[in-house]
Amino acid sequence: MAKVLVTASHGKGATCLTFSRDGQRAFTGGQDCIVRIWKINEGAEQEPSTAAEAEDAVLCVAAADDYWFSGSVDTEARRYLRDSNEFDAPLTTVAGVPVRSIAVDPKSRRVAVTSDELFVRMVDMEDTSKSTRLEGYSSGVRSATWHPSGSHLATCTCDGKIVVWDMISEPPRIEKTLDGIIPKVLDTDSSEFTYDCSVVWHTSGQHFFVATKGHEIITISRSDWSKSAPFSDKNATGAITALAVSPNGVYLASASQSRVYIWSTETKRVVTSHLGTPGSAITRLQFSPRQNLVAWVDTDGAFSRWTKPISDDFPDPVKAAISTKGSATVAVSFKPGADFFADELGAANGDDTMDADTNLDDDMLPLDDEWIVDDMDGAHSTEPKEAERVPFVKEMVSITKAQPPFQPGSTPFLNKKRYLSHNLIGVIEVTDTDDANLVTVECFDKSTRRGYNFKDNFRYDQGYLGERGAVFACPPQNEHSARVRYRPFSSTSSTWDYELRKETKCLGVAAGGAALTPKNVSDIELDGYGFVVIATSENDLTFLSGTGRERRIMALPGEFVTMITSAEWVLVVHRAGSTTIDGSQNLHFTMINEEDFSVRQRDILPVPKGHTLKWMGLTDQGAPAMYDSTGCLHIMTKYRIPHHASWARVLDTNFLERRKGKDESYWPVGVTGDNFICLILKGRQEHPSFPRPLLQELPLQMPFRSSARQEEMLARETMQIELMFDNLDEELTTDDIVSREKAIDKEFVKLIHTACKEGRDARAIELTKLIHQLPTFDIVSQIADFFHQPGLKEKVITIKTDREEAEDRLIVARSKRRRWLKQDAPLRQLAGTTNPVRVDPLGDGRPPPVIERPGMARVTVPIIERTQYSSLNASTSQRTATQESPSWDDSVVDSSPAAEKRKRPDLEDSFPSSDFPMPPPKQRANPFARKDKNPFARKADAKTIRKSESFFDKVDAAESEPPRKPKTSTKGKEREKKDGGPKQATLFGMISKGPPKPKKALTPQPVDAQSDAQLESQMTDVSMSELTIDSQEGVGGQEREYSPDWEETQVDDDPSLMAISDA
Amino acid sequence: MALPQSLRVSVTPPELELVASQQLVEIVPLIAMEKTAFISGAYGPLRPPNKAKVPLWMAVNLKLKKKCHIVAPEWLNVEFLQERVNLETTQPTFSHLPLRFAEIAKVILDVASNDLDNPDKIRSLLKDLREARQAKSRDGLKELDHSELSLPNLCSMEINEIRPYFVQAMNVLTQLVRNPVPDPLR
Repeated sequence: MAKVLVTASHGKGATCLTFSRDGQRAFTGGQDCIVRIWKINEGAEQEPSTAAEAEDAVLCVAAADDYWFSGSVDTEARRYLRDSNEFDAPLTTVAGVPVRSIAVDPKSRRVAVTSDELFVRMVDMEDTSKSTRLEGYSSGVRSATWHPSGSHLATCTCDGKIVVWDMISEPPRIEKTLDGIIPKVLDTDSSEFTYDCSVVWHTSGQHFFVATKGHEIITISRSDWSKSAPFSDKNATGAITALAVSPNGVYLASASQSRVYIWSTETKRVVTSHLGTPGSAITRLQFSPRQNLVAWVDTDGAFSRWTKPISDDFPDPVKAAISTKGSATVAVSFKPGADFFADELGAANGDDTMDADTNLDDDMLPLDDEWIVDDMDGAHSTEPKEAERVPFVKEMVSITKAQPPFQPGSTPFLNKKRYLSHNLIGVIEVTDTDDANLVTVECFDKSTRRGYNFKDNFRYDQGYLGERGAVFACPPQNEHSARVRYRPFSSTSSTWDYELRKETKCLGVAAGGAALTPKNVSDIELDGYGFVVIATSENDLTFLSGTGRERRIMALPGEFVTMITSAEWVLVVHRAGSTTIDGSQNLHFTMINEEDFSVRQRDILPVPKGHTLKWMGLTDQGAPAMYDSTGCLHIMTKYRIPHHASWARVLDTNFLERRKGKDESYWPVGVTGDNFICLILKGRQEHPSFPRPLLQELPLQMPFRSSARQEEMLARETMQIELMFDNLDEELTTDDIVSREKAIDKEFVKLIHTACKEGRDARAIELTKLIHQLPTFDIVSQIADFFHQPGLKEKVITIKTDREEAEDRLIVARSKRRRWLKQDAPLRQLAGTTNPVRVDPLGDGRPPPVIERPGMARVTVPIIERTQYSSLNASTSQRTATQESPSWDDSVVDSSPAAEKRKRPDLEDSFPSSDFPMPPPKQRANPFARKDKNPFARKADAKTIRKSESFFDKVDAAESEPPRKPKTSTKGKEREKKDGGPKQATLFGMISKGPPKPKKALTPQPVDAQSDAQLESQMTDVSMSELTIDSQEGVGGQEREYSPDWEETQVDDDPSLMAISDA
Repeated sequence: MALPQSLRVSVTPPELELVASQQLVEIVPLIAMEKTAFISGAYGPLRPPNKAKVPLWMAVNLKLKKKCHIVAPEWLNVEFLQERVNLETTQPTFSHLPLRFAEIAKVILDVASNDLDNPDKIRSLLKDLREARQAKSRDGLKELDHSELSLPNLCSMEINEIRPYFVQAMNVLTQLVRNPVPDPLR
């Protein structure tokens, strides 16, 4: 692994070192007046070539593309040809003082030479005689460093100042002087003076590192020159003697005396360290521009090379290999390596030492590097940045890189550790041990869910912590296919695995379910384990129950990006089609009900062009929330009502108070109440590090343009209350809502008070209308009183009475909820209930209304036994054939006129008539006709049996009475006789009608029913429904059996009737 | 009481600690709990991972049961204390610190040092602070007056510390002023 080659080369004393730009050679110079040129690839036994032109100790060496330089105590700065010891020309000669440092700009055009003179010489490479001076120093200049773009030059002076020159303006001007950061060393002979105090620019050019007099390494931002948190480690103490940054800016190397530390610039933690020759101080330290190699020289004059200081587990120090996966960093910074060394990276990318995980992230690096950064350049308009990008070939991608699928709250591996999921429920952490992963599930609420850990041989790379369980997924590997494991938060239930087909990849997993609280945690077995949703590369969403039962495989349009679940739905973010050419990710979202797989919401996800979605999550009220790379947080409102959802912007982290003057970004975890829960990442950090940082709460603040905080608060509170109302089902309100409403009303009152004070009545009224609780109106009217505004008071009272009179708003809200949340559309329901009532005039097959002709009724007659069907049929059909039905009906009912005499002819009539009965059946066949007729039937009997129902009936009765009287008296007997008679007739009818009957097969039933109905109505007041039931049964033979009873009742009736009539 | 006389006039540090335990601190609970009424007030609800404000005694209690993490107050960190130490050593006046910082810091350092960043450094800074301030209050003795003593920014623990001696000294001074020793020459 890491090995260190130490070669003694120069004498004791300050020694200097530089790499050639291609990293093949290293140049060292020392007190022995010689510069040695080392071939990096050769071992310790090599004999380096030397350049011995210097007449005194060599204090500095520097390399450009075509030349290299050395500066010596002998006042001379010399130029040599590339990679050789061939002296080319003297660069410049300073006036009698040692040359302290030589710095070549990144374009190899200008060389800055510093010495103990009170200025910096700027020598043109083309023509070394052309030199300008950067003046304004009060002491000698110890070192100079170019900004990676060549736009700035940072110099460090003996009196402890850092002077930054703006080299673009003509002539160069001092942009900033920072005092009191670096130590003041005026004694050039002291050992401290030999230390490398120079600032080290980060490759992004955004900031530089410098060792302070407090023995710390701090980062100074180039944009506002603010310091940020130092690199600290309890072991790294003592003066920092040298600093270097890795070619891609991921690592920073520092030397404290003889020990070399390598830090991660992202986490500011020590990655590795190495102890050099004890007792000597390292005076120069450098990363090789091309290899994973660190070299240094110390005061013993030894040259040390440490090959492979960064183990393979970490991102390479040369390649741009920092992932951007799933991060929530606000894109203010460049990706390391995207600049100065960009051209060299191509060459270095050949050897691939990265693990699969970082490779994966590689493809998305350009995403942030290309247009996003461009965008931000425009937004933040720092023009030096533009200049810095000039020297590199700028590849403008014409097609926007598509954002790959991600799990919300996951990070890539960093120091062999990663988060699979980090949300408000808990954290899934994975530690990579060599043979297997160690998965730790830790929940915040330890009383409801117990954390656990297990050894994972499948190397799960996706995870989701749901309310009722954790789900993991691993990619397909050589022998096993992709599998998903669900482990519910329950002591009794076992985990289950779900295997996908070979070659099918799992793109995302999510587990949902009703919230688990300490109260219902014991009921988990009863309530179930929620549900699991898996997005696979077969373009589908697979829904599984909490016990692993497959429920549905739903096709998913477009590419899957991410998803989140709640108790009742899953929200999937997908890309419909491809990204657009103008930088939009073209993301859509679909909210699917878990229960019935219906789509509740479907719309475009509002991620602006040139930005990516960073996070999706839930608020504590279960509303979806999203965070994108612009740093804005949105919450979805009205998400329960189909197609009513909208995204409310509740926080713009770019305008946060705390962010001013700080370089930090926010990694979202969740939203609770009025707070945005996040992890705060310092500097350019993209992912939270280990151990887990403390969750921070940032208060939500809608980015309103006017600065009225109170109004913003009210708007936000109102939105929260609306969200809470939307979450209700049948209940009207909750205590929580009421207390919130009261609190908000208080604020309203305050605002109304101010409005009154300022005399803005319109505003006061507007606010009054927003008040929730009725009692508050009284307070408002008191305020109006106080300000002597009777008009306003009147209006307030009007509003109050309006509110009182109107339907209770809570009930209105509930019915609204019901309407929207009901599964069945109300319209359909209505249609269903009204159906029987509705009449289609054209499709009405009922007979025309019957015209009642009581007078004529008599004519038709006797019919007697409607119960006996066949005969009855015969007779009726006969009669209908000859007469209009109404009259027939009447006659049927009107048993009284039926005399024995008639009986016979009737029957006779019936026989022939039955043969041609066509017209009447129509009427009879219609069930409705029956109903229509009932009144008549009743009337006919009623008039005699009981008090008649209507005037007309009475009239009828009066009319018919005189003739009837005799008949009625005989009625009973007649009936009996008739009974017998028709029965016979039936027999006859049956015989005779045998053949023709089939034609009219239907007719008997209705007729029978009719008559039956009549009977019933005669006997008692029977409801319609019974009637119909009876009529349905009517066909049955029993009917006939009952008939005698009927006869009897009829008979009973008759005497009474007679009595009446007699009276 | 086995305390020396000088201490008996004043409250003991554990008593002060008890008083300070009423102060509210932020915790990150690890258990869920509804809003609960105590004699001193209703606290909660506890909803992990949301922070909650509870009195120090409750935080300590929960912490000892491993049911919460205590969030350090904003003054209990290396940067803040370092700055205060700098002020304390450069300025003649007392720098502003919470009234009961010493007690709270002690309790938190005792119980929840693993929730703090760099507790050892904090300890040493607190000690520096205490020494610097102690030196100042000793200096203040020179200006001691018989009638009044204004103690801007002095903390409860420090007041408590100087009380016995200062009260005594002021009594003596008062006596001297009221009954001046007759001039021997007169």
